[in-house]
Amino acid sequence: MRVEWMIYAYGTVCISLIVFNIIYNVSLRRSEPRLERRCHRIRAKMDEQLGRLSQGQKVDEKHLDYLSSKLKRVKNLIAFDRVLQSFPRGDKTAEAYFQQIQPIILHLAVIYRRREVMQAAYFSYLLSQYMTTRQMPVDSLQEILLDYVRKDNLYCRVNALEALYTIGTPRSILRALEIQDSDSVFIHEKILTEGLLTYTGNHDELIELLWARLDSFSVRTQLAILNYIRFETGNYAQEMFSIMMDQSRDKELRLSAIRYFGKYAYQPALPPLLAFAAEKDPAQWEYAAISVSSLARYPGPEVVQQLKEALHSSNWYVRYNASLSLEALHIDYSELIDVVAGNDRYAREMMMYRLENRAVQKGEKVSP
Amino acid sequence: MMDAFKFFYECVGIFFVLYMIGYASFLFLSVAVGSSELYHSKRRNLLKNELLRDYYVPVTIVVPAHNEGITVGATIRSLLALDYKLYEIIVVDDGSTDDTAQVVREQFQMRQVTRPIQRKIPCQPETVVFESHSYKVPITLISKKNGGKADALNMGINAARYPYFICMDADSVLQHDSLEKIVRPVIEEGNVVAVGGAVRPCNGAEIKNGRVISYHMPSKVLPCMQVLEYDRSFLAARILFDKFNGSIIISGAFGLFQKSVVIDAGGYDPTTMGEDMELVVKLHVFCREHGIPYRIRYATDAICWTQVPERLKDLCKQRRRWHIGLFQSMTRHRVMLANPKYGLTGFISYVYFLIYELLSPYIEIFGLVTIALAFFLDLINVPFMILFFLIYVVYSAILSLTAFFARIHTVDLRLTLLDALKAIGLCVLEVSGLRLVMAWVRATALIGYKKKKNDWGKIERKKIYFN
Repeated sequence: MRVEWMIYAYGTVCISLIVFNIIYNVSLRRSEPRLERRCHRIRAKMDEQLGRLSQGQKVDEKHLDYLSSKLKRVKNLIAFDRVLQSFPRGDKTAEAYFQQIQPIILHLAVIYRRREVMQAAYFSYLLSQYMTTRQMPVDSLQEILLDYVRKDNLYCRVNALEALYTIGTPRSILRALEIQDSDSVFIHEKILTEGLLTYTGNHDELIELLWARLDSFSVRTQLAILNYIRFETGNYAQEMFSIMMDQSRDKELRLSAIRYFGKYAYQPALPPLLAFAAEKDPAQWEYAAISVSSLARYPGPEVVQQLKEALHSSNWYVRYNASLSLEALHIDYSELIDVVAGNDRYAREMMMYRLENRAVQKGEKVSP
Repeated sequence: MMDAFKFFYECVGIFFVLYMIGYASFLFLSVAVGSSELYHSKRRNLLKNELLRDYYVPVTIVVPAHNEGITVGATIRSLLALDYKLYEIIVVDDGSTDDTAQVVREQFQMRQVTRPIQRKIPCQPETVVFESHSYKVPITLISKKNGGKADALNMGINAARYPYFICMDADSVLQHDSLEKIVRPVIEEGNVVAVGGAVRPCNGAEIKNGRVISYHMPSKVLPCMQVLEYDRSFLAARILFDKFNGSIIISGAFGLFQKSVVIDAGGYDPTTMGEDMELVVKLHVFCREHGIPYRIRYATDAICWTQVPERLKDLCKQRRRWHIGLFQSMTRHRVMLANPKYGLTGFISYVYFLIYELLSPYIEIFGLVTIALAFFLDLINVPFMILFFLIYVVYSAILSLTAFFARIHTVDLRLTLLDALKAIGLCVLEVSGLRLVMAWVRATALIGYKKKKNDWGKIERKKIYFN
């Protein structure tokens, strides 16, 4: 009897799965045409309004009511997104249309803020995609977006941050970074840096504000901000110098500061860079490896001498980066003869490889 | 005497009931979780719950090649067509006796260089290095003495310039967006040390510029059955293990690893035949023993298309090699078995692989022998046995189909009615026929394995038509 029950159980599982497969297959086949029909309806309504806009009229109140009631359903929102995607970027009429439906967007932002995170993330995605101008009154929307940043979902946070980079003030972006920094959802520093670089407002103002609060952030966010500054401006040499020299700072932050001086030459940084490059402690190899890369920005006999010495380092990465820097400084073969004809096989091989590589990249014939 | 047999069969019966309940439950759980995850990810994509910007993590692709002259050129061309921007390609020719190195040199305008290679992991020395900078990413060809696939991969890791590397087979093709998909978990989560990609049989698929142009079930029966098997056993089960950081295998055909952790753990083990599984198990052990926080992820949407064997002889060779690799990995890292330090990975993943993968062929053959014996002793209810067997076949077949259709639906592939019927018919044959043949092959795999443990195992290759 018990065995029979087992067979019944298996049979039930089988039948359930067959039913599931059939239902899903049927609904899948119907979903795309349904979405097409929705798109068609929304497109027709929108075309009507775009026509009004091109005649200098405003969007009809009835249309706003229509959007307000229909776009509460996520399926209609997907169709709306699809229709918007069909407009070319920078289309003036479409932008004017979007401008006029801002009250509805604000209303929907409040509604979707309370929805499950996937829908909230989708709404913040729409904002990040279509809030392309900084003209609208955005104070209340920024507050709402900060609530989206608080959601326990990576995509919702990232999309809300993206929207803020488009419409936000430096203060609201600072607030958003503080919120994301304060709890558990991990956002990679690359995402933060790349996002900050897309900010459409005044970068100097934003950087000034972020710098003032730098120490209040976690190392991950600090690193993202330092990298952002490195890619954006060369005006922070003094500040970066202080970070590079501060031994109490996290290693990654100091390394980021060293990289800064590889992008922007700053003469006061040269002596410390030479000192880092001369570092022999194997535990400090990262400082040596990155500083020899940064030295490529500082032509001069002292630098060339230090780079040639770095070619004899016991660390492979230091040797490799030193050879790259010597190549970047366009040091002539004759100046490197002591290395390429020297006794240190590792230094010789590394430098020869760089010289060969230069020839390969120029398409020259390389002797075996 | 008869009483002793009855008692014996009573015990055997209880054992198999428990064994089958365990297997059926796992199968159901994995297919249910796997399918639901696939449907969930489809909804996630629809609602744009994904990183929409391109974030580039620098990646080195290591392609170990041994006598792959027929396929290696197409493989490299497919790698050059990837959407990704920040990567390099390193082909390691592991002492091929065919024209592998010559094909690469000539097709990609390579020039010989004296490149110094850092030896962080021991491997056979290089004999000659070539480079090409004529394409969108640098290509390096390293020829070395034969040392096996693991040794070739170790050479590739040593020569890699970037912090992450991808291992792949020379007979595989990566889908155009596979690199950006496989690095996504690294960006989305902290502490990710490895990510497994989804390996799919390309027999029957037409792929152009890394994109699937048309998809059909393979025309031959054997690859067709493997398509179903891949979806049930690999796709669904790996999604389940991924839920609790319990993946203990990343296919050698497509996996991403953090280079520094792999080097610290000692790289690939050249003395094993299942170097892909051994490395992942070793990473679990290394990270747990050293208190390193880590995640090993599975990216269902990072797709690698691979040729599955079309001949039974080749399939048997492949499965024999996999089984030996499994045996070596499990025995070398037996410290994981039900060890609380390893959490669910030790209690669920390791125990599952031990009972339902490593020991299952022996258990299944033992089951067949006892059935035959019981038949002669008239201790078996034949109609019930047939009914039970049919239930088992239908149950397994439906689960296979559920996983298969879940995959097809969620990646928006369209099947013809003929393909669907083929899948339905062959899943029954796969469960009732191929599975038993493979059980026998795996049961006999360990016979004489010491002699062949470093053999790459020749499987007939067909030219990949990559347009």
